[in-house]
Amino acid sequence: MRIRTIALLLTVFGMLVVFNSAYAQNAPEASEKGKEVYENSCAHCHGVEGRGDGSAAENLLPKPRDFTRGLYKIRSTEAGQLPTDQDLFDIITEGMPGSSMPGWETALTANDRWEVVAYIKTFYDGFKENENPPKQITLEGKIPYSEQSVEIGKELYVELGCVECHGNVGRGDGTSAPTLTDSWGFQTWPANLTQGWNYRGGFDTEDIFKRFIGGIAGSPMPAFEGDSFLNFGLTAEESKRLIELENKDEMTEAEEEESGQFYEKMDTAVDIALSIKEGAEMSTTQMQTYNDAMKVVYEKSWHLANYVKSLMPEERPEPAIGNNVLRSQYVQGELPAFDDAAWETFEARYFPLVGQVVIEPRQFNPTIDGVHVKSFYNDTEVVFLFVWDDRTHTTGDETDETTQKPLEDALAVQFPVKVPQGPTAPKPYFLWGGRLPVYLWHWKASTPDQVTELTAKGINNAETQEAQGELQVQSAYTDGQYKLWVKRTLKTDDKKDLQLEPGVFVPIAFSVWDGSNADVDTKLTMTSWYTFTLEPVPSSRRFVYPPIIAILSVGLLFGLRAFVQRRNTEDV
Amino acid sequence: MKKLSLFTICLIILIGSWVFLEFVVGGIISVPIPNSVIAMYMGLIVIAILVHISVEDSQFREFLRPIHETLVDDRRRVHRRVLVVLIPLFLLGYTYSIIAQRANPPGSPRDAHPSPPLELTYKDEGIGTMQDVVNPFRHYEKDDPEAFKAHVENGRRVYHQNCFYCHGDHLDGQGHFAPYLQPLPANFQDPGIIPNFQESFFFWRIAKGGPGLPAAGTPWDSAMPIWEDHLTKDEIWDVILFLSEYTGYQFRTFGEAH
Amino acid sequence: MKTYLLASLTLLLACCYVGIVGITFAADSDAGEMEMLIFPESYKPTSGSNGGTISGVVKFEGDKPEMKMLEITKDVEVCGATEKYDEALVVGENNALKNTIVYLIDITEGKDFDKAAKLEMDQKGCKFTPHVQIVPLDTRLTMLNSDRVNHNVHIFSTINTPVNKQQTKNRRRMPLAGVKKAEGPVSVKCDIHGWMSAWIAYVPHPYFAVTNEKGEFTLEDVPAGTYKLGYWHEACGTNNESPVEVTVEAGGTVTQDFTLKLK
Repeated sequence: MRIRTIALLLTVFGMLVVFNSAYAQNAPEASEKGKEVYENSCAHCHGVEGRGDGSAAENLLPKPRDFTRGLYKIRSTEAGQLPTDQDLFDIITEGMPGSSMPGWETALTANDRWEVVAYIKTFYDGFKENENPPKQITLEGKIPYSEQSVEIGKELYVELGCVECHGNVGRGDGTSAPTLTDSWGFQTWPANLTQGWNYRGGFDTEDIFKRFIGGIAGSPMPAFEGDSFLNFGLTAEESKRLIELENKDEMTEAEEEESGQFYEKMDTAVDIALSIKEGAEMSTTQMQTYNDAMKVVYEKSWHLANYVKSLMPEERPEPAIGNNVLRSQYVQGELPAFDDAAWETFEARYFPLVGQVVIEPRQFNPTIDGVHVKSFYNDTEVVFLFVWDDRTHTTGDETDETTQKPLEDALAVQFPVKVPQGPTAPKPYFLWGGRLPVYLWHWKASTPDQVTELTAKGINNAETQEAQGELQVQSAYTDGQYKLWVKRTLKTDDKKDLQLEPGVFVPIAFSVWDGSNADVDTKLTMTSWYTFTLEPVPSSRRFVYPPIIAILSVGLLFGLRAFVQRRNTEDV
Repeated sequence: MKKLSLFTICLIILIGSWVFLEFVVGGIISVPIPNSVIAMYMGLIVIAILVHISVEDSQFREFLRPIHETLVDDRRRVHRRVLVVLIPLFLLGYTYSIIAQRANPPGSPRDAHPSPPLELTYKDEGIGTMQDVVNPFRHYEKDDPEAFKAHVENGRRVYHQNCFYCHGDHLDGQGHFAPYLQPLPANFQDPGIIPNFQESFFFWRIAKGGPGLPAAGTPWDSAMPIWEDHLTKDEIWDVILFLSEYTGYQFRTFGEAH
Repeated sequence: MKTYLLASLTLLLACCYVGIVGITFAADSDAGEMEMLIFPESYKPTSGSNGGTISGVVKFEGDKPEMKMLEITKDVEVCGATEKYDEALVVGENNALKNTIVYLIDITEGKDFDKAAKLEMDQKGCKFTPHVQIVPLDTRLTMLNSDRVNHNVHIFSTINTPVNKQQTKNRRRMPLAGVKKAEGPVSVKCDIHGWMSAWIAYVPHPYFAVTNEKGEFTLEDVPAGTYKLGYWHEACGTNNESPVEVTVEAGGTVTQDFTLKLK
């Protein structure tokens, strides 16, 4: 009996220890082990002393976090607070999408990750000095997603000034976007809110809400704190009224007085919020005023979170790999024009871009995520619509410091001159060809209605074709997004051009330049080879053979029955 | 309860095996089995069933009985009518789906182990034959551990300033550019990579990159840069030391007994 | 039954263990290398009467530099109404250097802050005024928005909690919580208008002055004694390495001028 008891106790205790080491909320004491793991897996970016100055840091943007200032972007805690251990553990485990921080779930054991959490905390004294656990953001009172909530959020998006950086529809193209720097003075770009997959801390509504309430420390993104939040202390209606009054060119005396009262009400609430922050004791009524005001902040934040959530697709578009190739659709007659509604019916193929790191100058920190492509063709022509997000409209007014060349946004579409025959036939080198030449369409933002045809045998060995003007082009830049429409005949007289034919699988690749990211010459973002085809009109045989087979099968069944019946009668 | 007929039992076994292979093993246990392998298993099961039912005449007749009955017996008239509609309908749909299927691009075969040239070069300078060239800093491992460590650390720096974008922080081929490259960058944590190659082979692949692959080394899509354009000879050797030190795998060597 | 009792006891113990697994730390990181003001360990406000005065003029050494005009890239209607210059280096007539902080480094006792003084920093025409602001500890600084555009007050503190608050266009005044620790000067920026720049020093004693257009400064009611006199200027740095010693007599006035050059 006793042995069994002890065994049971040991098991329970053992299980708890295991459980604790894997799921504990708090990190263990900083140890040699944590230092060892850190130095082997983290120091190359974050630096041996945690200053974010590892050997890889030079070529990275966003820069690796400097741990010595206690500023952590992704937290579940309120503004100005340190992260919880669990927050740090989660970031190490899941990584930071859209940056070079990978998730370490498979590479490091949970134990090692906890050790690293403990070690990272030693870089900033604040963790030691803060006796109280950081205050976590409450997710109670979540306002469920609804169109109505999204509408309210959309208004707040303007009222709060989100547009200044994130742009009219959230593509990170606000007028302040190019000038932003982080707390270390490094350039930083506002999030493109339509690309949820690049949100560093996840794109669930709760995640977005936490970023609002807690802020993104070290970045220009402010927290929605009580004392500074839009018209703090006023109800939603009062706030609306005040904005209405303030937007008037001139206020009547009565209106002046009305707004004055609003300001007094705000001052009272702000004073309480600040006093709480400064550690003063508050009366019950004061606390009531504060809580009521905070409730409005939280409600508005949920509405805004719902709006931001509405800006992004459910999932990242699948890259056009495997059989998911770009298939140009056949239409009879005229091909759709630039702003034709027909484009809406076509589901785009997505071509994610990576930095060009093969040939100097290289681009280690691409700012363009990918290109959406749609295409139609008819008996004589093919038309493409290329769509990509770029936070800035750069048209060559500024020049690159090192090359003295104009900086501008651009896109090149690349095909082989001759389609390789058979699966083992070599394609040209994916970077603008080599031994085998490629055929390129080169578009630049400074000449938006023109695409130059090039032939290239290497990225520094491109020639402008003599015969130009075979392409019809139209383009536009709106709200952080380029749209480029290119039309060409399937066949041309130029031997240097690619000749198109339905049913043939043609390699296709892209190069994109973002002028504001100093992309120039070979410093660009690119794809390797993907595939495109003019999808043949489905064969009419599909209406002929199936009925024949069906009828034959009926005949076969009856024949079988007759055969069996005859055998039966013969047997009898 | 009525006893199940032999035919029904066979049908249940057949469908049951397929569901097991496709959904239980492939779905729940999540070890997806290629369609060709499933087809092979199913073929074996069909043969087993055929053998089983045809060992004795009586058994075979018992098997055929429900088919017989369905075809001619008046009591099975309803079954018959349903089948006469369902079978042609199924065939109609199936044939249509096959004919209307889109053509897919041809897959491109990949030569995972392209054969290296006989001579190892850096830029145009000859280094020696592929077989014989060894890492000039490898001997420090025994002779001078301090110097060895310095070379490994330099390799670590070179790696993280150039390679980790694609090959990853953990050398597992999962850098942040990796998901969008085809073929995928090499995974040095894979036990089949480092131990299978000499250091000279790695030097060749690093120095010459994708464009340096032999004509037979299809496809030509490798995004591996020509690193001799960016790195010194010593830096390449250092990074090779780092690869084996970090992963704990030893490069293959010749001429020594293990 | 006993088994369960024991088990639950162990469970309790184990839970305690889970709870106790705390955090301890090692290694202090070094203080920042930025050029900062030097503050006394402690400061005790006593009556500051019968003190002396330190005054002087700060000048810029070298040719009077051209004022760098700032490029206004957004909200041009409001921000571009008047020309904006980079205020990192403002040299007036006779090479007078504006916006230099002159202060006592090692004072530990003296007058108290003027509690009645209103502490404000305005954002007008997309420019912070004043460019350098002294803020006593535990005192609120009110940010004003005289523009009808959105601003964002970003104070890059490293010792105190950094401040990053949007001040929307209708928010005429926004007080900021007082801070507990002496620090500075820290940079103030507006993320929305990248050119906007100012400095704030959170200070524990009132013996700080900022030079005006004429480069003049005055420290009043300084208790008699010998002090180290320090300066800080955004573009010219500090004299932290070799502060000037001044001796103040009760009721007397000491003059100490400085000539600064670019660091």
